[in-house]
Amino acid sequence: MRPSGACPPDQGRLTGANIMFSYLANPQRFEKFSRIAIPVCGWLALALIAAGLWYGLFSSPVDRFQGDTIRIMYVHVPSAWLALALYFAMGGASFVYFIWRHNLADTAAASIAPIGAVFAGLCLITGAIWGRPTWGAWWVWDARLTSMLIQFLLFLGYIALRAAIEDERLAARSAAILAMVGLVNLPIVRFSVEWWDGILHQGATVFRADGPQIHGSQLLPLALMAAGFTLMAGWMVLYRMRSAIMARKAANLQRLREARA
Amino acid sequence: MRAGAIFLREARLAFAGGGGPAAPAAFFIASLTLVPLAIGQSPATLQAAGPGVICFAALLAVLQGAERLFGEDVVDGTLEAYGLSGLPLSVVAIAKVLGSVLATLWPLPLVGLGGGIAFGLPVEAAGMLALALAAAIPGLAFLVAIAAALSAGARRGGLVIALIAAPLAIPLMVFTASAGRAADIGNAAASANLLLTCAVSLFLTALSPFAISAALKARLE
Repeated sequence: MRPSGACPPDQGRLTGANIMFSYLANPQRFEKFSRIAIPVCGWLALALIAAGLWYGLFSSPVDRFQGDTIRIMYVHVPSAWLALALYFAMGGASFVYFIWRHNLADTAAASIAPIGAVFAGLCLITGAIWGRPTWGAWWVWDARLTSMLIQFLLFLGYIALRAAIEDERLAARSAAILAMVGLVNLPIVRFSVEWWDGILHQGATVFRADGPQIHGSQLLPLALMAAGFTLMAGWMVLYRMRSAIMARKAANLQRLREARA
Repeated sequence: MRAGAIFLREARLAFAGGGGPAAPAAFFIASLTLVPLAIGQSPATLQAAGPGVICFAALLAVLQGAERLFGEDVVDGTLEAYGLSGLPLSVVAIAKVLGSVLATLWPLPLVGLGGGIAFGLPVEAAGMLALALAAAIPGLAFLVAIAAALSAGARRGGLVIALIAAPLAIPLMVFTASAGRAADIGNAAASANLLLTCAVSLFLTALSPFAISAALKARLE
């Protein structure tokens, strides 16, 4: 650990994600980047999700075993993927913030948390709606379901910790440590839950060494929705980041004006 | 200030204001007493639920004293004294957590043993459960200490501690309870689960001091 204040934001070594955050750490550059990236992500997401919904709801055939309930999968699977991906993104951003003290990385982590929680919640709810007619139960204590519930709780813990600490810098540092602890523990938690459980939930179907075990007519809408959801998450994260930066700027201006008066 | 002094101070503090091991042990017994009253007195149900319920209640007992572990140090300036002592904060964390664990949590495996027998487990199974609890408690205590250090000085810190520690405590819950359950049905997996409990507990004990020290350092700046 280095002593406090020894590392100004732009002095860190340029590796990996740090390059991105170093480049965007300049608020004007981020503003310029987000002004292009936000509408691009947003409109692309809208187009992909619209196409995915059309294929998923109207153009893809009914599943031989699951009937029309298969269509829930086109929301359920992308939500699950995003809940996990956003958790890793939050952990990565927290790491960059903790080591190199890029405030933008902290803003990113703080913006990701509620979005990740919403996708985890969406995954659980759509799963329950699908599970009732298919398995005959809203909920079963299966490894994958339980892991997603834990993921949801990890997001909630992060949000609650941030909200409980008033000092902004201390909240950011504490939350970053928690996100990193969670990331280190996640493999053990997942392993222990798999150990504890018998298997009911379908195993990996799309990303397998022997190729996807899913029919093309279902893979296309799934892929469209996954890409659309990912872009939508990117759009929301960037939007929230820009809003947070603007709010901070406004608060600074307000403080300045009060100091003058 | 030496690490030994911090260790002794923590142990003495536990006896001075909190009744030492009495509070967590009594809390543990009280929550176990409520279990048959809540789920019914059928011996088969109690025996099946016993190991899991006992582990769960032990986690609650560990959580119960968590808020005062670092909360008071942050408020009354003791943390600054630790910061100036020249000791690495990770060593301070180890001394503090071990001091409070050894002063307050040592009766929990014994209560677990008694609870297991009262819930109808065979003595060997209750013994295995107590052993697994003894192995899990250092890891649990360090895990809870991370949560306590992260939320020290926060509003409603106790609630936040429970919320962030619970998902991270899952591996220890799973392996400890499985050790008791497997021993109860005479399954050979009991010792494997005991070893996994030891492994996770050691892992948490070894790495948590760094997370705690990072959290404390953020509070010193």
